[in-house]
Amino acid sequence: MTVAEVGSGDGACGREVVAGGARIAGVVSCVPTREVDNAGFVERFGEQAVHDVVKMIGVTRRRHVDAGTTTRDLCRVAGQRLLADLAWDPAGIDALIFVTQTPDFRLPATACVLQAELGLSTSCIAFDINLGCSGYPYALWLGMTMIQSGAARRVLLAVGDTVTRMVDPADRATAMIFGDAGTVTALEASADAPRASFVLGTDGRGASHLIVPEGAFGRTPADDPRLRDRDPACLFMDGGEIFNFTLRAIPPLVARTMALGGVPAVEYDAFLFHQANRFMLNHLVKKCKLPADRVPINIGDYGNTSSASIPLLMTTSLREQLRERGGRLAMFGFGVGYSWGAAALETGPVRVVETIDYD
Amino acid sequence: MTEFYEGLAEILEVDVRKVTPALDLQTCSWDSLAVVSTIALADDCFNVLLDGQSLGECNTVGDIEQLIESKKG
Repeated sequence: MTVAEVGSGDGACGREVVAGGARIAGVVSCVPTREVDNAGFVERFGEQAVHDVVKMIGVTRRRHVDAGTTTRDLCRVAGQRLLADLAWDPAGIDALIFVTQTPDFRLPATACVLQAELGLSTSCIAFDINLGCSGYPYALWLGMTMIQSGAARRVLLAVGDTVTRMVDPADRATAMIFGDAGTVTALEASADAPRASFVLGTDGRGASHLIVPEGAFGRTPADDPRLRDRDPACLFMDGGEIFNFTLRAIPPLVARTMALGGVPAVEYDAFLFHQANRFMLNHLVKKCKLPADRVPINIGDYGNTSSASIPLLMTTSLREQLRERGGRLAMFGFGVGYSWGAAALETGPVRVVETIDYD
Repeated sequence: MTEFYEGLAEILEVDVRKVTPALDLQTCSWDSLAVVSTIALADDCFNVLLDGQSLGECNTVGDIEQLIESKKG
């Protein structure tokens, strides 16, 4: 496909882009071994509070990294496994994109460190992208676009977060919902790959509703009463605002993505939503009139893993299906920013689809 | 209103017969989770999107109903 055949433009829900000529060759997720159930939270918050929160968010257990483990570690292990199982020579990787909000350092880019650790060539393009819940569709769009442009033939997308490392354990709103995971997806040039459609958008007016106010170089919003008496180095989330944004923005995004994909919802094998919160997901499924049996949900076992949630769904809930026959998938990432990204694409059988433990 | 009141009764953890416009929210479990649930409920029943902040400022069920009416218009 030539560049001239690729459409893009402004839509009501975001930029609309079609990319082709690239396929998903494999996905590996790596999660910490330490599983945290809800019992510990009962001691901290009381039985009733935990019951109420869990009823809403739907998280039974989640994986937490220990204090010495970073997203880079999870992605390194996932990447090593992916390259080995695909039998790909590390020297043949043309680009490595690391999408995270929990990098190892403010500088250098963690992608540079991962490039060396994975033994990739010095001719490898490597850089970080700072996005959270919307990160996976963005990574797919960018990786596929790089392949389509001819800049790269094989691309690794390292996408993950260790949000629990910046959560205040005493904050009921965030302490129970998040889990940690790192994933790596392999993309490869493939002339006959079906086109993938993307809808990508941003509304920075929502920036203050999901934020770590301090830790980089900006000024902490001084007059925000919601931040009073909070540790500014920890994650702040205004759940009501985020919920409202999601209900407003996502149903039209789902409809637009279906339209751009060109086939009706019944033709899709799975709708992969960022695992934000179970109550919100149930509501979205109902509101968007999607078949609930094709909307996998794994937030009960892994919590909200930020940018990793969509690929983690692929390697847990969809593993057999992807390996055996692939399928038509729709993906929806949304949240921090506000930023959102959706993808509609078709995969053939995906050779490597694994969830592994970090140890 | 019946479906809405039934939903509110569940959210506020009170008997549905107690749900009237005069019901004082502060006497019920009117916390951030209840606010989010009410946003979803109003979306389900009336297809309107309330914002969390205005909902948080409501004192009675009647206030919530007024907020919904103002969004409908």
